[in-house]
Amino acid sequence: MDARLLEFIGELRRAELRISPSEAVDALLAAAEVGLDDRETFRAALAATLVKSARDQETFDRLFDLYFLDLRALDRGLRTALGPDDPGVQALLASLLDGDGPELDPLTAVLLTGEAPALEAAVRAEARRVGLERLAHALQLGVYARRVADGLDLAAVERDLAALLRWLEARGLDPGQLARVRSYLELRLEGLRRLIRRHLEREVERRAWRRGERLVAERLADTPLFALTADQVTEMKAVVARLARRIRDALALRQRRARRGRIDTRRTTRRSLAWGGVPMELVLRRRRRDRPKLVTICDVSDSVRNASRFMLQLVWSLQDCFSRVRSFVFVSEIAEVTEAFDAYPVERAIEWALRAASVDYHCRSDFGYAFSRFVASELDTLDRRTTVLVLGDARNNYNDPQAWALRMIRERVRGVIWLNPEGQWGWGVGDSVMPLYATACDVVRECRTVRQLAEVVDELAHRWWRPRR
Amino acid sequence: MLTAPEAPVFQSVDEVQERFRRAGYIAGRRTATVVYLAARMERPILVEGPAGVGKTELAKTLADVSGRPLIRLQCYEGLDEGKALYEWQYAKQLLYTQLLRERIGELIADAPSLPEAVARIAGQEDAFFSFRFLSPRPLLAALLAERPVVLLVDEIDKAEPEFEAFLLEVLSDFQVSVPELGTLRARHIPLVVLTSNNARELGDGLKRRCLHLFIDFPSPAEELEIIRLKVPEISERLARAVVAAVQRVRALELRKPPSVSEALDWARSLVVLNAERLEPALVDATLSLLVKYEKDLERVRGALDRVLAE
Repeated sequence: MDARLLEFIGELRRAELRISPSEAVDALLAAAEVGLDDRETFRAALAATLVKSARDQETFDRLFDLYFLDLRALDRGLRTALGPDDPGVQALLASLLDGDGPELDPLTAVLLTGEAPALEAAVRAEARRVGLERLAHALQLGVYARRVADGLDLAAVERDLAALLRWLEARGLDPGQLARVRSYLELRLEGLRRLIRRHLEREVERRAWRRGERLVAERLADTPLFALTADQVTEMKAVVARLARRIRDALALRQRRARRGRIDTRRTTRRSLAWGGVPMELVLRRRRRDRPKLVTICDVSDSVRNASRFMLQLVWSLQDCFSRVRSFVFVSEIAEVTEAFDAYPVERAIEWALRAASVDYHCRSDFGYAFSRFVASELDTLDRRTTVLVLGDARNNYNDPQAWALRMIRERVRGVIWLNPEGQWGWGVGDSVMPLYATACDVVRECRTVRQLAEVVDELAHRWWRPRR
Repeated sequence: MLTAPEAPVFQSVDEVQERFRRAGYIAGRRTATVVYLAARMERPILVEGPAGVGKTELAKTLADVSGRPLIRLQCYEGLDEGKALYEWQYAKQLLYTQLLRERIGELIADAPSLPEAVARIAGQEDAFFSFRFLSPRPLLAALLAERPVVLLVDEIDKAEPEFEAFLLEVLSDFQVSVPELGTLRARHIPLVVLTSNNARELGDGLKRRCLHLFIDFPSPAEELEIIRLKVPEISERLARAVVAAVQRVRALELRKPPSVSEALDWARSLVVLNAERLEPALVDATLSLLVKYEKDLERVRGALDRVLAE
């Protein structure tokens, strides 16, 4: 059992669960503690020791199902495949087997007593010996099934069974009984073949799944955002959520560190009075919490919609790392969507921002107009702790860029950061006015893919919002 | 020193489930297995899950069922070792020094030199750095308790990573060192339950050390059982209606979906109001017990007929 468990743990590791040696040992201990009698208990014991994060639970469950068959169900399955049990034949065979019957192959013996777990173990061992490294597709099943069957020497088993029947006939078994035994043995053999095939099918599934899982994450991270299909967008959300979490932890840690400060002499003296003037306890001057403010301005026109979606998702997840987050969306008219972000869960908030805000989503992007409107209504609310994050491709449809507005914003705030979902080669070509705006920004970055988005936000979290000493 | 191992707390997973049920806690198969393993393997349990699904209650019930006292350490931002482990009672020490001034005076009266006087006082240090002046905080109390205890470290995610690292040290060796007194080893290994609301990702070290248990919202069948158990006066019909409604409200994508404890509050209030069925007017009036945010309330009210559909 232990070997099987270790194999399973190796499989989990390949599926990118981080499992330390001590956890593996724990799993073995726990498995020994609860035993195999109850499958759900066994599963719970393994999950408790191996799965330390809710998001790995699904991977675990799927692999568990592939790995630890429900032996009882399998046994039942095998029996139903064999038709109703035939106690008469079983008893007859049993009496023959320990008597002076013909010499039987060990596998034949197991097959006759019909212990599913023993058969399953034999099939698995043989499959391992044959080597399934190159098994990757369902089309190869037949070839591999034959190889395993040959390895198990099913031909010998068939010969054994034939010999057994002849022997029974020679002993003078009446034809009716003989027919029953014959069909019984045939069914058994068929059951074993099915077992082999099922084992290989699961193996294919397991491999395909593992490969698929890894590919999805990698391929998606490098796909240009505008090219994502609706399904991919759904998958991507999980990736972005994980990303947000990482950044959030980094930011939270930073803020806590920043709280340490110099000694507050006034309060230390006050407190020392309790000990007759001896400063037993030092009071540190609390650094004023430097929680930055964030204003995001997202272009939500069709061309950059996916990028905006993930940006908004990130912003939503990072809300509580900032003292204030305000979000604006625009196509040409600009609207504030902060309220939705406060009130709704992430999905709904984003859907709302992308669709329902008081913005005409069907006109053409006009960055200049949006910025000038923003300046007119919001300039007074900006201060030196605010960072403005703009997301857009700066394709202004030949409208007036009004870069002065962005410059005015920049003068009021800590910095303006521009994320452009379009490749750098396109900046300044055609109706792109990126170079004009770039001079009014502190940081300009290309973020065509989620990987780039991740890098940018990570960089911002670690450099930009670092507390000033 | 550790005393000889005592009789195991639980004999089997089924026994855990059964005893928890008798104590008024419906433990799923997973929960029961983890509790059983924790008791057998002397490992802390790390419980994660949404607010109000009975994480803290699990520890309380465990204490109840095993007949051990519960020692609780509530974590918060800024919690440090001093507040969690032990503190010297400076004031008391000072007071004693004041009261004993004359005795101390006698002690050093005939000391020929200042270093000699200091050495003599140093010789008496033990009197001042002893258990008498040590006030044990939850962690130390759990280690030093005369009989085995259940230690609940609540909302560990609220404390800082530094504290988490320190806690890990305590939980791995079940011993702490107090510089003045030396190393103190646990008399009994406590059953430890840590809870987390996932406000931040916990460190890998701590997770590795613990058995992990994720408690989610209960299935309809489990929730029905919980309500029957906790609100025995409720009629079968109403209980079923409440469970169905609560499950539907949870599916509404609220900012804060109703937890088990809120469902229980709601069920109790309906019983107090002598409700027979879920009348829309009555539900509307009591809804604030179930859903706590204004926006969520609006949303549920908007979908009321769907929520109450038979």
